[in-house]
Amino acid sequence: MVRFKHRYLLCEVVSDDPRCRLSLEDRVLGGLVRDTIARVHGTFGAAACSIGFAVRYLNAYTGIVLLRCRKEFYRLVWSALPFITYLENKGHHYPCFLNTLHVGGTIRTCQKFLIQYNRRQLLILLQNCTDEGEREAIQKSVTRSCLLEESSAGEELSDSGGEEAAEAME
Amino acid sequence: MPAAAAAYERIVYRNPSEHHYMKVHLEFQDHGIGLNAAQFKQLLISALKDLFGEVDAALPLDILTYEEKTLSAILRICSSGLVKLWSSLTLLGSYKGKKCAFRVIQVSPFLLALSGNSRELVLN
Repeated sequence: MVRFKHRYLLCEVVSDDPRCRLSLEDRVLGGLVRDTIARVHGTFGAAACSIGFAVRYLNAYTGIVLLRCRKEFYRLVWSALPFITYLENKGHHYPCFLNTLHVGGTIRTCQKFLIQYNRRQLLILLQNCTDEGEREAIQKSVTRSCLLEESSAGEELSDSGGEEAAEAME
Repeated sequence: MPAAAAAYERIVYRNPSEHHYMKVHLEFQDHGIGLNAAQFKQLLISALKDLFGEVDAALPLDILTYEEKTLSAILRICSSGLVKLWSSLTLLGSYKGKKCAFRVIQVSPFLLALSGNSRELVLN
């Protein structure tokens, strides 16, 4: 009823340079986003967005970032993301951009979206890969993810089947 | 014979004007400082950029008249940007290290209203 509502922005760091993703750090990225908001939206924007701002999740291998901000000012943060053009870490300068994949109200919805997105990305990778060893590895990951999907759906079905059987017995 | 049904069209204007006009006056703590029109506009845009960033520094702001002797001007801004311009004028404190303040004399959505100000009326 009376609580602070947040918006979680799921973004992907896209860059030509493969070293850019490996040098991702949450503090560096957080500082970069705050500086960009201060440049684009001024003192008002910087103050409004930095209250509830945090980098919640960061995956250096896939370049996925989850940012949190307050619900009233999420549009200021979202509109400042296209103005990020480079990542600066330990003296290395990498040009990159942030691609927003999903905006959710809770971490759980973003996680569900991320699972589906990663499944689709695996299939795309399978189509595009050229090396035989890579192809086998990706095929194994795809079958494992499909099995996980089926097992979680199967558990839901068996739960509902159990409830119906209990009602029928009564 | 019954009269033909009257056809009418009702137009409702919620906001009659898409621009707002402000009459402002720039006051310095020391006297003898002059600005030409370009420097004045640069000052306004830097005030907006300080508080609201580059996005709002690009609001369509026009200086309709400017008097260098009295440092007073009539500005035009689109209605959605009025609050932002007014608040950034309020918070502007200095120009090139010298203290100054903006006095807002009149604000109106109609330019004609700025020609006569009932506050400056002298009743004898």
